[in-house]
This record gives sequence, structure tokens and C-alpha cells, in this order.
Amino acid sequence: MDTTTDGAGAQTPAIQTSGLTKRFGERAAIDGVDLFVPRGVAFGFLGPNGAGKTTLIRTLLGLTHASAGTMHMLGHPVPAERDQALQRVGAIVEEPRFHMHLTGRENLRVVAAVRGPEVAARIEPALDRVGLSDRATDKVKSYSMGMRQRLGVARCLLADPLLLILDEPTNGLDPAGIQEFREMIRAMVEQEGRTVFVSSHLLDEVEKTCDAAAIVDRGKVVVQGAMAELAAGGKPRHELLLNVDASERALSILQGSDLVAEATAGGEGELRVVLVGEAASAAAVNAMLVGAGVGVMRLEPVRHSLEQRFLEITTRLEGHSDRTEVHA
Amino acid sequence: MNATVAMQMTGADFLKLRKRWVTLIWSLVLTLLPLLLYFIISAAQHSSSPQEHAPAGGVNGFQDSLRILALFFGPLAAILVGSDAGAGDSTAGVFRDLVVTGRSRVALFATRVPAALALTWLIVIFAYALSIVGTFAFADGSPTPSFADVLNGFGFTLLSTGVVCAIAVGLASLTTSRPATLVALIGWQLVASPILTNISSLGSARKLVLREAIAHFSPVNLDGGGGHGPARGGAVTMGSATAIVVMLVWLVVFLALGAWRTRTMDA
Repeated sequence: MDTTTDGAGAQTPAIQTSGLTKRFGERAAIDGVDLFVPRGVAFGFLGPNGAGKTTLIRTLLGLTHASAGTMHMLGHPVPAERDQALQRVGAIVEEPRFHMHLTGRENLRVVAAVRGPEVAARIEPALDRVGLSDRATDKVKSYSMGMRQRLGVARCLLADPLLLILDEPTNGLDPAGIQEFREMIRAMVEQEGRTVFVSSHLLDEVEKTCDAAAIVDRGKVVVQGAMAELAAGGKPRHELLLNVDASERALSILQGSDLVAEATAGGEGELRVVLVGEAASAAAVNAMLVGAGVGVMRLEPVRHSLEQRFLEITTRLEGHSDRTEVHA
Repeated sequence: MNATVAMQMTGADFLKLRKRWVTLIWSLVLTLLPLLLYFIISAAQHSSSPQEHAPAGGVNGFQDSLRILALFFGPLAAILVGSDAGAGDSTAGVFRDLVVTGRSRVALFATRVPAALALTWLIVIFAYALSIVGTFAFADGSPTPSFADVLNGFGFTLLSTGVVCAIAVGLASLTTSRPATLVALIGWQLVASPILTNISSLGSARKLVLREAIAHFSPVNLDGGGGHGPARGGAVTMGSATAIVVMLVWLVVFLALGAWRTRTMDA
């Protein structure tokens, strides 16, 4: 499948919105969203249920009209050139739906007929790609949820998509199905060069699958960027947790060191150390303390999780304080 | 959209319809069974008392079977198929998946109409063939319709069912609800229209009733009297031009409403 060209310039972002707003009466389901999704990544669109994820996807795809703002998909302004953009976009919005009285292959034939004469040739490869060739003649009503999700992906692949938009793709899947889906997304990005935009309320899922993400809450994008930066709160932070036998002396040594940007003491000999950069390794800190006669009982790099960051952000939101914008 | 894509899309819509066995079987039953019953019962009556009961076939049988098929059960089948074609994608939840292909929504609507007509007419052709077989098989020496009558009856049956089918597609696309469309159209076409036609105080306003405009083109007297058009109760007579205009207005209004709704609704 050709995933390299789209006629709109491969340097343009996969998705870009500016001030995108969708109102239902007085209520803004999405409110001034500025979103930047680069090409060739798995991008997570993360937020709690009701945050506006599906509304944004529906607005992008033309399933509902925007109230304000601008959108670009694959370099095409939408809605002005939505039809051209959608020729290379595959999407599953909410749960994948099909004509239950038709077989899997017949459902794909219906969509292939709508997409164009050349698309019929992609039906068998798409079924094969998602592992449904042997069930293609069964009616969809006999399919499991996981099989329907895979058939939904096959339907997306009929477009030979540069951009796949998947709305809560792992909903209803068992753990094996989730793992399988995750691997499929990664393969599409890493092996086939596609961009995959995944909306989810599952932090763990986004963290494991995506290269970058945006966190959305109450219709607003709160923060977006590369996954490591998001988790670290805007820039990569290299932190250590230490337990030492002489905490005050250790703190004094660390605060005077060029390797350390910040050092704070906790209780019972625990220290939290922020290093100046990646080059300042844990080993160097350990050597410095041991060399000064401080006993180090524990030294552990702090792993920043998206969950931690997400909770921080949503806690701030609930307190109505400021929001953070981080762009990758 | 070029002709190839239009053909493909129509074929896809036809596939969706013909694979819906419940609709297909009911449509066949509704068109074939009444005719079968009519010929069987009439033939039985004729054979038991030839003086009292005319032959089941012949000109009388042809006229009766045309009333059954073209004015009642044919349109009923057309409503079943048309409502399925109009609301099927929305009901199944796949309309949004068709929209995200980038294909024009109007094109998505437009190809439903020929697909629904194709299936409706396929069913009606079977039923009409049955009525012709019955007409000649049970004539029992009585006069039979001419070839021109048979052709005209065929054209009239296609017209009657085709107009109703297209309107059903439009209305179902407008409401996106098959049950609502079925109730509204069956109620209007098969219940309200005959009642309105019989209210003579409505005068020439009855010309706006679609059923009467269609009946104008019947090659036989559909109400048992003489001449064109229905004559039961207050006769609604109209010129061909008026009948054509009335049918076109009904078609244009409902197809336009269906196309508008398909183009503008949230998917």
C-alpha cells in the first residue's frame, strides 16, 4: 500500500485545528481547541468520558458542523476540501457499525463501491491484514466485538489511509484483543508510516500505544506534546529518589553540586533530586555521595507516568486555576 | 461522481436491499399471495357455479388483478422496499461510515432510489407475470385482454409502484426511521387516500391525492365503472397534464426533502 504521498505535501501536519469550537445550544462540547498532530506518529487524544473527544472527531470528519474555528486534515482545509482529505483518511467513530445482515466482505464491498472503482482490489488485502479472511463470508451479526473492531480497521484500510482516526478502539475488547489492537496500531505507524489518532479515556492505553498525546477536559485541550514531556510536566525531568544515612549532609553536598538542579529532603532520610540533564547520571550522584562518606541505601530513578500528570492537571482544573500548554 | 461510481454505488445499495430477507420475502408474499388467492378462489367459485360466477381469468380477471397489484399490494411492497432503502444506512448506524469516505451525501442519497426501484420492479414483474398467467389460464373461453392492454397494464404497474417507492425513499431519508415511514405512507396511501377521494365536498382538491393522479393512467377502469380513473363515490377526473404535475410535485417534494436531510443531518 502506498502511504507516502497524498498530493497535499507530506510536511503538513496530519491534523491541525485552531480555535475549533462546537456548541450545542449554550453548551460548548469543544471550546477553542488548538490541536497539532504531526505525521507518522500514534497520537493519543486523552480525556475523561464527556470531555469532547468524540465531538472533535465528528467535527473533523464532517459528521457535524463546527460552530467556529479552522481545521486542516492532511494539509487540506476542511470543510472546504474535506472530500479530498477524506480520500486518504480511515475512521472508526464510536463503536464500529455494520449492516448486520451482510457478511464482512459484503460490508467492505459496500464501502469500496462508495470510495471508488480502484478500491475493490483492496478488500482482500485488508481482510487479510486484520486476520478476518477466513470469516469474511460470515454475517457480521455473528462476529464478536473484537472481530467487529478488526473489520472496522479493515474498512479504514480500504482508503489506504495516511491518517487513521480511531475513537475508543479498545472499548469492549478483552485483554488479548487490546494487546492485539495495540500491536496493530504500532505496526501501522512503524512499518507502514501511517498516522494513527487514537481517542481514549484509558491513560494506560495511550501511554503504551502512543508517541504523543493531547489531554482534553471539558472541551478544552489542556496540554499536548510528546509522551515523555507530557508525563514530566512540560519538559523531560530526570529525577532520583534516595535514602541515605546522613540526609542533612547529603542534601548539602547535592545542593552544591553542578549535577543537581534541585534537591529536597523528605522524611526518614529520603531525598528527592532533580538532575540538571540527561548527562548527569544516577551513577555520578551515587559516586559523589559515597566518596563524601554518605551511605546510600536506595537510589531509584523516578518514572513519571501520564496518569500522575493527568491527575495533576485535572486536579488543577477542578480548582479553576491556570492551564498548561506544551507543544512538542 | 462518474457513471462507473454511480453504478457501483447503486449495486451496493441493491446488495443491501436484496440481502434483507425479511423485507424481500414479505414483499414477495404481499404481491404474490393476494393474486394467487384471488385466482384460486375465483376459479373455485366459477367451477362450482359457472352461471353465477364469471371465469377467474379473462378481461375481468385482468382488471381485478391489476387493481390488486397496481393499486394496493404493489405499492405496499414498494413502501417496504423504499423505506428500507431510505432509512437502512441510518438505522444500521453505517451512514457516518459512508460520509467519512468523502463521497457527496447527495450522491449517497441519489443511488438509493434506483436500487430501490430495481428491487421493487423485480418483485412486481414476478407478480405481474403471475397475473397474466392467471388471466389467460383461467379465461375459460371468455374474452382476454389484448397485447396492448397487457403492455399498458405492465407500464401502469411499474408507474404506480415506482412513484410510491421513490416517495418512500425520500420520506424514509427524511425521517431516518423505517417504522415512521411505513406507518405514514401506508396510512396515507392505503387508508387516508381512498377516504379523501370519497369525500365529494373536497371537490377538485382531491386531484392532489397521489393515488388518484396515478390511477388516472390505468389502462382499465380501476373502480368498476367505465372510462379512465376512479368513479366510486365522487369521481375524481383530471387531465393527463394535471395528473403528471401532481405526481411530479409529490416526487420532487419528497426526493428533495430526503436529499436535503441526508445532506445536512448530523451523521
